[in-house]
Amino acid sequence: MHPFDLKTVLLAKHAQHVVLIHFPIALFLAGVAFDFLAHWTKRQSLAAAAYCNLFVAALSSIPVLVTGVLAWQWQLEGQRLKGILLQHLVLGSASSALIWLAWFIHARARHDNGYHRNGLLPGYRLPIEALGTVVVAITGHLGGFLSGVNGPG
Amino acid sequence: MRRSVFTGALLMALGFGIAEPGAGRGNFTVSAQQKAETAEVKIDNFSFGPTELTVSAGTTVTWINRDDIPHTVVSTDKVFKSKVLDTDDKFSFTFSKPGTYPYFCSIHPKMTGKVIVQ
Repeated sequence: MHPFDLKTVLLAKHAQHVVLIHFPIALFLAGVAFDFLAHWTKRQSLAAAAYCNLFVAALSSIPVLVTGVLAWQWQLEGQRLKGILLQHLVLGSASSALIWLAWFIHARARHDNGYHRNGLLPGYRLPIEALGTVVVAITGHLGGFLSGVNGPG
Repeated sequence: MRRSVFTGALLMALGFGIAEPGAGRGNFTVSAQQKAETAEVKIDNFSFGPTELTVSAGTTVTWINRDDIPHTVVSTDKVFKSKVLDTDDKFSFTFSKPGTYPYFCSIHPKMTGKVIVQ
């Protein structure tokens, strides 16, 4: 297959999920890193960067969830999942929920303290973001295991 | 009396003669069942082994997943399709018609195999 054969790539029922998943993972991890740095350095600009990254991460998790469910319905005809596939589905949904929650905490703080200011971000967001990082990492590990990134060829 | 004994003996002989071929067919059927061929394809390390399997018509092919990852066995021509096979799960299909049956794993479409039925 040619690497720029867009028709084949876009119409491959199984392929979209494993491509799109990289965006929320990268954006969320970057957002969390910015937020931890913002907490330690007390710099508003870093908190703003965290907010932007978390927002796009949350948005990009929607097509990931949709394509994941579609892959399940198309490739496996929606059959009852078990084992690693079920764990991946549950943890993936939890990951998306935690990403949205992390963004929501930031969004609410910005709303309460003025739209253009990051305001006082609650301290409890940090353990939530840390938990999100762990859940995202486990989900990604299972996804990589399922897709066979460690397999031959 | 003699006549009826003779007739009875004749009928018994005919009866054995008729029954015998039936008994023979029964034995043949059993032996045919014993001869039913089977073949196995192992799924391991993201590949089907053997990748290409040649069998005679009527052979039952069993795929067994020896991998740590779930896989499926799906005919490209939609002739057969397994459920998700976890480790040590099996799927069997009997190939009654000659032909070539390409298949793949729907979770990992790069995994492909072929059964040639002669």
